[in-house]
Amino acid sequence: MIAAIPEALLILLQPMNFLMMLVCGVVGCILGAIPGLSGGLGITLILPMTFALNTELSFSMLVAMYVGGVSGSFIAAVLIGIPGSAASIGTCYDGYPMTKNGQAAKALSIGIMGSFIGNIVSCVIAILCSGAIADVALMLGPWEYFALCLMAITMVVGLSNGSVFKGLLSAFIGLFLSCVGGDMVTNQLRFTFGNTNLYGGINVVVLLMGIFALQQVATAYAKGQQEMPPVDTKSLSGFGLTLRDFTDNIKVIVVSLVIGLFIGFLPGMGSGISNLIAYGQAKRMDKHPEKFGTGYDPGIWATEVSNNAGVGGAMIPMISLGIPGDATTVLLLSAMTIKGLQPGPMFIQTNPSLAALIYMIMIVSSIAIVVIELLTKRWFPYLLKAPYHYLFSAILVICFMGAFSSTTSMFSVYLVLGLGLLGILMDVFGMPSTPLMLAFILGSKIESYFRMGCSYARGDLTSFITRPISLIFILIAIYSVVGPIIQKQLKKRKAAKVA
Amino acid sequence: MKKFNRTYVMGIVCLLLAAFVFFETGNITERLVSNEPGPKFFPYISAAGIALFAILSMIFDGPKESKEGSKPYLDKAGWIRMAVILVETLVFCIIMDFFGFWIASILGTFVFTWTLKGKKKINVIFAVVFSVVLGTVCYFGFTRGFHIPLPSGSVWDLLGINMP
Repeated sequence: MIAAIPEALLILLQPMNFLMMLVCGVVGCILGAIPGLSGGLGITLILPMTFALNTELSFSMLVAMYVGGVSGSFIAAVLIGIPGSAASIGTCYDGYPMTKNGQAAKALSIGIMGSFIGNIVSCVIAILCSGAIADVALMLGPWEYFALCLMAITMVVGLSNGSVFKGLLSAFIGLFLSCVGGDMVTNQLRFTFGNTNLYGGINVVVLLMGIFALQQVATAYAKGQQEMPPVDTKSLSGFGLTLRDFTDNIKVIVVSLVIGLFIGFLPGMGSGISNLIAYGQAKRMDKHPEKFGTGYDPGIWATEVSNNAGVGGAMIPMISLGIPGDATTVLLLSAMTIKGLQPGPMFIQTNPSLAALIYMIMIVSSIAIVVIELLTKRWFPYLLKAPYHYLFSAILVICFMGAFSSTTSMFSVYLVLGLGLLGILMDVFGMPSTPLMLAFILGSKIESYFRMGCSYARGDLTSFITRPISLIFILIAIYSVVGPIIQKQLKKRKAAKVA
Repeated sequence: MKKFNRTYVMGIVCLLLAAFVFFETGNITERLVSNEPGPKFFPYISAAGIALFAILSMIFDGPKESKEGSKPYLDKAGWIRMAVILVETLVFCIIMDFFGFWIASILGTFVFTWTLKGKKKINVIFAVVFSVVLGTVCYFGFTRGFHIPLPSGSVWDLLGINMP
């Protein structure tokens, strides 16, 4: 793959690819900055547009949107104390107090540079690691892949907020939805009710539009979440950062980078978790932990470096194993499938230039975004004044247009409504939607690997636990569900003993 | 108004879904394939999983919700807003089906903007221009630029009118 980097760079520097990468990077940054919207939503909306575009241009747009979305999420966290997405929850703790202390320029500069460092270094590490991991993955059979997919879903469930049971319930609903249509092994029709529109199964774009986009707009409107607090625009001029600020925090940067990369690599553990863990670690390491929460530099460095390092980390399992590292890579994985690519260990061997291109887009878009962010920093407050009524109405229209164009059938348009209702119901019941999406995407893979494994072992189910790597993955899968429940019980007992 | 325990309601809905999946899985005709569980296995697994975790959630999360109490998901006005936006999207889909995407998107964008603005004042002319531009750019961008078909409207097809 490394040998394909010069070719990938040449493809990326083609005017159209480069221009669309820039545009999508900036749009992703804007969506990431606005609370309630995200780069993931942007990917969902542009996914149907990529049907007619070539693979290189499509990924230039999608990957740049992803990078921009994560990079931009700190803006609202710093300026108004509301995170643009879960990736920047930790940034609010010190970013907003720093703005209130009259150091908005410094807080934004740390956010910009932290995001940049996290992105670039994690991408370089991802390039170096992906090939090796894919080589190891080629030695695995359907038993290990089944266990790996199972582990990815249970890890998402185990780490989702709220009840583990509701997370598992959501995953099983996703598994059921993935069963609709012809099955992967014998092409036997299931749950189609004689409707030809369902013979090919539920389209992933349709599912995302309903569960993700429509649900978000409808619930945000119903909850009245369309008003932003005023932005404190004092002290926005200047860079606000010196070389010493950087060198003084080098230890925090390195540790946060490692945390972000590792957590991003684990399936299901995205930047929403890594930023909080890195913040906690930075506080533990610091000589003045009492300063955290008052507008202290290491707090912002830690969260912004780690959440952006998660981007490179999440790309490693996506490229080398075909397993999404976080919710947004679930969308990128669907884009690969739509483009007829087979994500997995063979991907790097069969498409080395595309694999290299994806990483190059991440690196070049990070560089472009840091330059644009530094030049336009003083206008960031205007982003948060974006009129929600225009944004949301455009999202709704584009969402239905995308659903139609993915299957050229009105049935899909009505299905978006149905799935949107399902998404709203799940939100009402407090069920997380990410396990559903992940189980839906991996459902057909899990089923095929399981049935292939059974078939190869002549119906012997024990083959899944007698192979060591498969057994390890299954044990991790079980622990990721049972572990949090046991830990909760132990904490309760400890608290009861203390009381 | 009596407050429902949302976890119990969720549990009952999911149990009904599991029963439906279980029943429908029984209707799948299975071709004989040796050494592998066949196409019914995973639907049965998903039905069993939905039922099992619905029950576990009712047992463990339900009493917790009853004890601690939960914040209402939406107030009355919120539910009305939710109903309004969902009805509008349904009407938007029907208009798209009968009159095509171009007309539906222009009307839809304007109505959605008007609804979503809430109590805010907006410039009506700007909203109209925004709706026309968005609808037209999306329609012609997709159909002419990307060559991706969008619904042209069954009414026009019936009347023999060719929409651009």
